[in-house]
Amino acid sequence: METGEEFGPWLSRQLRLAGRTQAELAEELQLTRAAVSAWITGRSTPRPTVMADIAKALGTDLGTVHTRTTDTQAGLPVTWYHRPGYPDGGRDLGNAAAFAFDADAQVLARETCQNSLDERLTENGRPVKVRYTLHELTGEKLEAFREAILWNDLFPHYSAVSESAGGQKVGRVVDAGVRDMYEKGRLVLLRVDDYNASGLTGDDYADGKFAAVVRRQLESLKSGHSAGGSYGLGKATLWATSALGLVLINSTLSVPHEGRTERRVIGRLELPWREVDGEAYAGPAWFGRPDPDSPGAMVARSWWADEGTVENLYLSRENDEPGTSFLIVGAHDVGGLAENSSDADDGSAGDERDDEDTRDITRMHKRLVEALGRDFWAAMTGGGSRLPLLEVSVRALRNGEEVVPEKQVDPSVEQPSRTRALRAHYEGTTVDRLTEAGQVAVRNIPLKLPLFGGVRGTLGTHQAVLLVTESEKDADGAKNSLHSLRGNRMTVKRATVPRLPIGTNPFQAVLLVGEAAGETTPFAKEAEEFLRAAEPPEHDRWGQTEELTLRWSPSAYRRINALTTEANNAVRELVARPKRSSREGGEALRKALTVKKKTKAKVPTGPVVPALDALDATVGDGGEWQITAEVTIPRGDEIAPMVPVAQLDVRSGGRPKLDWAELVGVEGCEVEDGILRFIPGARRAKFRGTTDVTSHPVRTTLTRLVLELRAGKGE
Amino acid sequence: MKIYPYKRLSRSIALRVTSVSLRLSDGTRDRLETSAYSTQQQAVALGIAGRTDWVSATIGLSVTLPPGVNAPDAPWSELCVLAVLTDGETNVRTSVNLTLDTEGGHDWSGALEVLRDDHRGRASLAVYAVGTVDGVRGRSITETDRSWIIDTVSDEPVRDLQLEVRQASFKRSSREWLHAYADAPWIVDTSARVPTVLVNTDIEGVMGLLDSNSSGVESKVRDLLVAQMATDAWTAVFHGAIGDLEVESGGGPVFPTDWQGEVLREMLPDVIPGVHVEEALRQVHRRRTGESGWVELQTRIHYAAVRRADAGKALAYAIRSLEQKNRESET
Repeated sequence: METGEEFGPWLSRQLRLAGRTQAELAEELQLTRAAVSAWITGRSTPRPTVMADIAKALGTDLGTVHTRTTDTQAGLPVTWYHRPGYPDGGRDLGNAAAFAFDADAQVLARETCQNSLDERLTENGRPVKVRYTLHELTGEKLEAFREAILWNDLFPHYSAVSESAGGQKVGRVVDAGVRDMYEKGRLVLLRVDDYNASGLTGDDYADGKFAAVVRRQLESLKSGHSAGGSYGLGKATLWATSALGLVLINSTLSVPHEGRTERRVIGRLELPWREVDGEAYAGPAWFGRPDPDSPGAMVARSWWADEGTVENLYLSRENDEPGTSFLIVGAHDVGGLAENSSDADDGSAGDERDDEDTRDITRMHKRLVEALGRDFWAAMTGGGSRLPLLEVSVRALRNGEEVVPEKQVDPSVEQPSRTRALRAHYEGTTVDRLTEAGQVAVRNIPLKLPLFGGVRGTLGTHQAVLLVTESEKDADGAKNSLHSLRGNRMTVKRATVPRLPIGTNPFQAVLLVGEAAGETTPFAKEAEEFLRAAEPPEHDRWGQTEELTLRWSPSAYRRINALTTEANNAVRELVARPKRSSREGGEALRKALTVKKKTKAKVPTGPVVPALDALDATVGDGGEWQITAEVTIPRGDEIAPMVPVAQLDVRSGGRPKLDWAELVGVEGCEVEDGILRFIPGARRAKFRGTTDVTSHPVRTTLTRLVLELRAGKGE
Repeated sequence: MKIYPYKRLSRSIALRVTSVSLRLSDGTRDRLETSAYSTQQQAVALGIAGRTDWVSATIGLSVTLPPGVNAPDAPWSELCVLAVLTDGETNVRTSVNLTLDTEGGHDWSGALEVLRDDHRGRASLAVYAVGTVDGVRGRSITETDRSWIIDTVSDEPVRDLQLEVRQASFKRSSREWLHAYADAPWIVDTSARVPTVLVNTDIEGVMGLLDSNSSGVESKVRDLLVAQMATDAWTAVFHGAIGDLEVESGGGPVFPTDWQGEVLREMLPDVIPGVHVEEALRQVHRRRTGESGWVELQTRIHYAAVRRADAGKALAYAIRSLEQKNRESET
């Protein structure tokens, strides 16, 4: 049997939820108030017969009282709590943190996956598992879901926002989201689950991960110094991705809260300021159980839901491993539309013709896999004695039916070359110089760490690890680029190595800094801290930041520039030929003296020259070549007469010429003395011919025929 | 357009070089870095290490056959894959059998041994998939569509043929024949392995001008000089190429396979426009050896050389730059 929480705290909460006192319960059970008090403080437990009475008094069944894995439903029902408008009349017309990001599935993938990585439970050494599920609901399923989230209570708020949508960005997005749901009769849910992560631990209001995510803005409570995030902005992408501004959360905790770990559920809605039924609301709203301890028992807090409820909310987790599920209601992907014009390198261009739908789940699926592979290939790579830090899979469903089957993102498919490089590094199979395709070369690149507080001098030199390997086909994205990463193994910086000589073999390079270079590397921790401070909220580069200026010095970022320069130099040294200084005569003259094979000859004026377009040839019964050829004719007033010449191909020397036994114009041309004369104005022509067997020097089946059209007499 | 009397694959073979190493005269090996070859240029430069004592080079190859080659209903059997190195200058042909990496796969690999004494410079490497079709053995089913260039001399893996540029003091050079040209700023030597432009360092500052990277009038003058030299070089190279053509039994010229061929293929479309290069070569050859027409052709040859040298552009830039200079001094 499942063991729930202690009886005392549980009973105490049930009473509070139901808005009853200990004295009232004692009276109903016809017991003394002291007896009830003793249960609550844990000094005694009720006898089994009394349990049944308690269950009756709380309006629930005996099982619930015994197992205590869930709250009784007798309490105040789960509902929406909207934060009232500010008494000073201030209005927030949107969440500033959410404005920092676009509704882009790839940004979401990056931020959420980074959070999961940071919250990985490190003790067991296993990777954190992240799963993205795109789920499109229509028809009855959509109805049922709307009922589960009490849509009817929310609708007036959405209408109010839509009405005032005119000038506000958030309002317009929400308006469009609601309209899409009604007009197309569908809703896209994007669920992000992580397993083997810490989950949303801590109290509903006091400091802790739960409050940091659900109640606060711009707070980051990361679990370690190598964590990726540092701004507390990432969670805003969850709400930014929802066109309805609505995210539901179900968390399994790694550390029990109120004696429980499973199915801690809450929802949060981000809307701009609005007025409904004459009441002003500040913006955010929470979906939960009203907290009897809050003023007027209005504020909604997380509740411990039963399995049926999470099922209805599409929040069921597949096992009891700690971690969190975020359900983004009304997910849309605006970033996906502009994508192919900018990322032509990714090879994904061309399939964007169908429609401009920001809610296409198969496309969102593809974009998620792409982004996860690109940003987290290193975290997903293991080798030697190292396990990967991260496992990610993506799937898409429609009304519970699989549309795109669950697919684990495989770094060796998404980023084959870089993954090979990192694996070789873990396994110790790197080399000093590249002498064979597929090898991985390694170099150490020094990062001189500055002293704190603007003091001149160097704290110490951290040796970053640079890996370079040949690029495999087109799978790696832009070629000749350098990915930089630190302890959390998320690609921070992607840049093309500049100033490479023409003809350099395509390569991919990886720069491991901080703890990524190895936990025991000298100054790994310090480098980690320094670089983390140098990351902007997007975590996509290292450079000048305010934090860097405040904690180190305004010129501290130059140390990073020096690292980049050194790394680029090392890459060039590994992949490119040394520049020859002994080169005589200057580049300009050399260039002018290159046989390019590309210079297009100038088209002469005069009659246009037809060209062979298609040729069909077979060997006839008599050993003759029978050909049917098609000719294209450029536009022109006068068409030059052409002579078809049949020859046999040879490896060297002159080609033996065959005579024609028959030559007939089929369309667009006439044959006269072996010369093709084209009908004026024709753009295509077709002719037929048979070679004269007596002119064949060898057996026809052992020859290769070459047909040419020659201008003039065709000698 | 070529037609074969049997069924073939329409798609071509992909060839990659995976490693290059030199065997030295003392029997040791020097594994060259991967920068000795360029997969983009499809070229291998064996001279990159600056070694003079190598005897042979081993080039590691990896080949991917197009899909359909293993199809159960394919009309070919006894499939084998051959890498063939052809040298148009020395007429040496070396072929090597590649081996299938995994049963039923498309990838084949092997190593090609290039003997230094067999080559003078550029050789081309192609791969053929060969099998028995309709009972006839040794038929090519598909090939690489672009050959790799294996250059035993070059120190840079580039595909395009580059004419040599060398500097020498014509007066004091150990090459005594240069003494006769002591007052020429440059000459073109088409009898060398690759046509070479020799620049006379006795003319003071000429190398400095050619090597200069400055902008402004100086660079425009340099470009003019380069255009002038290139025009000379292209004209000389064309005459050199057309001058000793091999003639086949019927009297028609044979297209050369070495640098001369490359130069002719490049320039002939401008000399005799509108016809196939082979036809153009026949016409040029006829005019040169025949009774008439050679003199009239000189203008066309000169025109082809001027186009290659980009003389028009260089001149226009120089003039514009001078005009600018004049305007500046007026104001």
